[in-house]
Amino acid sequence: MKVAEPAAVAVAYNEIKSRAESRWRELANGDKPVIMVGTATCGRAAGALQVLKTLRNEVKKHNLDCPVVEVGCMGHCHAEPIVMIKKPGYPFISYGYVNPVVAERLVKEFLLGDDPCLESVLGALEENDLVPSLADFPRAVYEKKIILQNCGQIDPTDIDHYVARDGYAALARVLQMPPDDDVINEVKKSGLRGRGGAGFPAGQKWHACRSTPPGPRYIICNGDEGDPGAFMDRAILESDPHSVIEGMIIAGYAIGASYGYIYVRAEYPLAVARLEIALRQARKLNLLGKNILGSGFSFHIRLFQGSGAFVCGEATALAASIEGKPGTPRPKPPRMTTEGLFGRPTVVNNVKTLAFVPPIIRNGAAWFTSIGTKDSPGTAVFALAGKIANTGLVEVPMGTTLRQVIFDVGGGIPKGKKFKAVQIGGPSGGCLPESALDLPIDFDSLQDAGAMMGSGGMVVLDEDDCMVEIARYFLEFTQRESCGKCTFCRLGTKQMLAILDDITLGQGKEGDIDTLLQLAEDVKLGSLCGLGKTAPNPVLTTLRYFKDEYEAHITEGRCPALMCRELIAYYILPDKCERSCDACVGTCTVEAITPNKKRIKVIDQEKCVKCNTCLVACPPQYNAVIKLSPPSEVPAAK
Amino acid sequence: MAEEAEKIRRETGRVLGRFSRKRGNLIPILQKVQHRLGYLPREAMLEIARFLDIPEIEVYGVVTFYNQFRRNPPGKHSIRVCLGTACHMKGGYITLDAWKRRLNIGQGETTADREFDLDTVACVGCCTMAPVTVVDDKPQANVEPTRVDGILLAFEREREKKHKENRESS
Amino acid sequence: MKTVSLTIDGRKIIAEEGTKLLWVALDNGIYIPNLCAIRSSPEPAAACRLCFVEVAGKEAPVTACTETVAEGMVVNTRGKKALRLARSAFELLMASHPVDCAGCPANRSCELQKISGHLKVKLKTKRLRTLLRELPIDDSHPLFTYDPNKCVLCGRCLWVCRQQLGIGVLGFAHRGFQRVVTTFADEPLGQSRCQECGDCIAVCPTGALSFKDSAKPAARAVKI
Repeated sequence: MKVAEPAAVAVAYNEIKSRAESRWRELANGDKPVIMVGTATCGRAAGALQVLKTLRNEVKKHNLDCPVVEVGCMGHCHAEPIVMIKKPGYPFISYGYVNPVVAERLVKEFLLGDDPCLESVLGALEENDLVPSLADFPRAVYEKKIILQNCGQIDPTDIDHYVARDGYAALARVLQMPPDDDVINEVKKSGLRGRGGAGFPAGQKWHACRSTPPGPRYIICNGDEGDPGAFMDRAILESDPHSVIEGMIIAGYAIGASYGYIYVRAEYPLAVARLEIALRQARKLNLLGKNILGSGFSFHIRLFQGSGAFVCGEATALAASIEGKPGTPRPKPPRMTTEGLFGRPTVVNNVKTLAFVPPIIRNGAAWFTSIGTKDSPGTAVFALAGKIANTGLVEVPMGTTLRQVIFDVGGGIPKGKKFKAVQIGGPSGGCLPESALDLPIDFDSLQDAGAMMGSGGMVVLDEDDCMVEIARYFLEFTQRESCGKCTFCRLGTKQMLAILDDITLGQGKEGDIDTLLQLAEDVKLGSLCGLGKTAPNPVLTTLRYFKDEYEAHITEGRCPALMCRELIAYYILPDKCERSCDACVGTCTVEAITPNKKRIKVIDQEKCVKCNTCLVACPPQYNAVIKLSPPSEVPAAK
Repeated sequence: MAEEAEKIRRETGRVLGRFSRKRGNLIPILQKVQHRLGYLPREAMLEIARFLDIPEIEVYGVVTFYNQFRRNPPGKHSIRVCLGTACHMKGGYITLDAWKRRLNIGQGETTADREFDLDTVACVGCCTMAPVTVVDDKPQANVEPTRVDGILLAFEREREKKHKENRESS
Repeated sequence: MKTVSLTIDGRKIIAEEGTKLLWVALDNGIYIPNLCAIRSSPEPAAACRLCFVEVAGKEAPVTACTETVAEGMVVNTRGKKALRLARSAFELLMASHPVDCAGCPANRSCELQKISGHLKVKLKTKRLRTLLRELPIDDSHPLFTYDPNKCVLCGRCLWVCRQQLGIGVLGFAHRGFQRVVTTFADEPLGQSRCQECGDCIAVCPTGALSFKDSAKPAARAVKI
């Protein structure tokens, strides 16, 4: 490698930066209004594209000089589609739950008129006297955005937006440093731990790779976010792809690699599309490719689409997949850092780990260690889902308690239901009960409690969720996603699943819990790779904290949460059923409900498929449909 | 049949023309061929094995390993029920049952009229919209059994509309 | 040749540096159960999980096929923790294996029987549920029969077919519990490019690949 030419790099970067800044100023502080629409996958699922179309049509129809910009995910997924409007003379306001009708009104009433449509406001993005700002929301007390900082604030398909907000400044700085251990030392000092789940120190990994004999090395960005219930990586790739690309180039420079792969799930088509655009734009500005910014350092990134196999999140399986083979893990050692992709030293880092690199370089290691806990510095990003009011993405400093995340940031459990457990870390993690809520979150505390940071999926469960069923669900998942190579994972998880299937079907027998526990311990200890080793966690934690639910299923044939379908029956309370109402009869998908002579509705238990539709349909003032467990609780028809 | 075989040969050839004969290209090749044909027919797999000079069983091993690859022609509309954690806890499995019941097919199958194919997907990351069904690559929020009927009705209407237009134009 | 000295089950042994523990033990007459280990393969599969042993100083048992011998290493192949894992793995294999020794061509030469004796685990497990795959038996080849239900997925047959003979008729396909040794598109072996050398049958540790009675040649050893 040529010695870097600091001056040339600075000149080249400043040129890019000043052009980007002037474009950004024009948009953000110009004299014309701007509309931003969150069109990440979550927004799209809620109808953001129709909203976008309506807004564009309206703007065109009224001949408004007002750019309509697509942005990524702000994290408030529960309120999607989200629209943000910046109009001169008004604060920057975000609107939630926008549909085409509201969108039309926003243009007509607010942009053309002077009514900022306060009834649809989510919050302002800056302090002002007109509307409450998002920063005053209770959740803002706990939130600290580092890698989500740009998400939902910039157009991910416009590199200038990223550059204007200090993007690629870290790269420019690194390229002016000599290619020795300075960068690695900074990352080491920051204490950055891998955000893929295990929390291995990133700097140490880079160091190990750099210490290998000269020759080709690779860096892989692991975006194979396969955990059901996790969508942090997707949101970052869709909303701020350049932060990951910049982190990767810096990592490449630090470890002496010239090639990198971004491995993204094919199930994330939008992330793939936005990454492709971002890579193209970065190459065009010479931030990527040959002789980056005139520094003499060349780095190339290829996008590889995973084909749908959870096990490919495991580094050796991921590498096998890029090599064109089935994603079966191999035994370690040799570690990836000595023998990885194509047999060459390779660093595999998670999307979030890489996204942390630019801010660490920009602000210094000391800044990073001032956030979070001593052994887990920085922030954690969680995807909140399940029975929680504010579903979406949150970023909080490590050390925040689960209670703060779930109740203060997440807004607690909706519909007045009672919190039962939180599932953290997906299929590799575990279910933690109420008693663990005051646990400060970091890599080590979660592991001690039997869960795992995993990649950061957090699914909240309430009193209606059966813990045996959730364990069964995760095991069914790992069992289906097991590569099948090693005995414990292929057959051990299958045996465990068979036991759990029986228990949830009411066919559990004495001794099942013991066998389950023994198998779980053996699979955990004896499996070849991380997938198998962590697969028993959901079972082990639910057995540890909710054993009574297992016992109720086995000994009484009863599902305490009224969830396991074979163990429940739907029943209409005759004294609550309203004679004049037919809501359930009309919605029943299999015509199992008929009115009796007194026009009280009765469910034919033989026909009922337990689809829950009648329970939803029954108007809340009657609440006549209930679930009973065991099914023998249903009174015999008179 | 001959027409289909010709199409498979032509499209596979077209994809292969854009790749070098490196083993590492196997998965991108399979993805591109499936993108064009909708599935990976036997002949395409054989052609790819010859191109990369690897035993055909190795192509088969890869195709059967990954969820993304299908060996049967798909339906006109693809229905993918998300079974991620959030969707499961909010009744994704009940939604799957509803699709099975309405389409009268099982998971991984295509209806006899080749209109719909039904499958599950591990997680599309739209957990906040649970339960999600991805209909023709578009994630649909809160798909409960009644929504299933609604979506099918919309397709039915569209078909009728097209039918009518065809009749009127002819 | 550089050597190291180590102790296995109390016996002092001199071994070539860099060798895997499993081969050192086997070469010195100390049996450690194994199915998927292939000496000529550059990388252990470490798939069958039967060769667990305990190494002094290591908290958890390790697989002998992946553990490189080291100077002063003290190995116990009969440790309680290691045996628990090996037995559990073996029970899992047997719970998904149709046990019909009397009617099986591999009876008495079957490695599963040998392992069962060594680990003192019954062939028919009571603790676990029987989970069979019920795959069709391939009888299409004139010389031999392939019963995938009896296959333990050790990978020896495909190793000889591909790596040693360069034919590559057999391979792994599917995933998880459905993982299977098969041919392209699961086509009958009788229609495949099989060159009838019979090496795969010779290396099969169970009765999954077996000669038809009429075709049975004299037993021969194939080195892998």
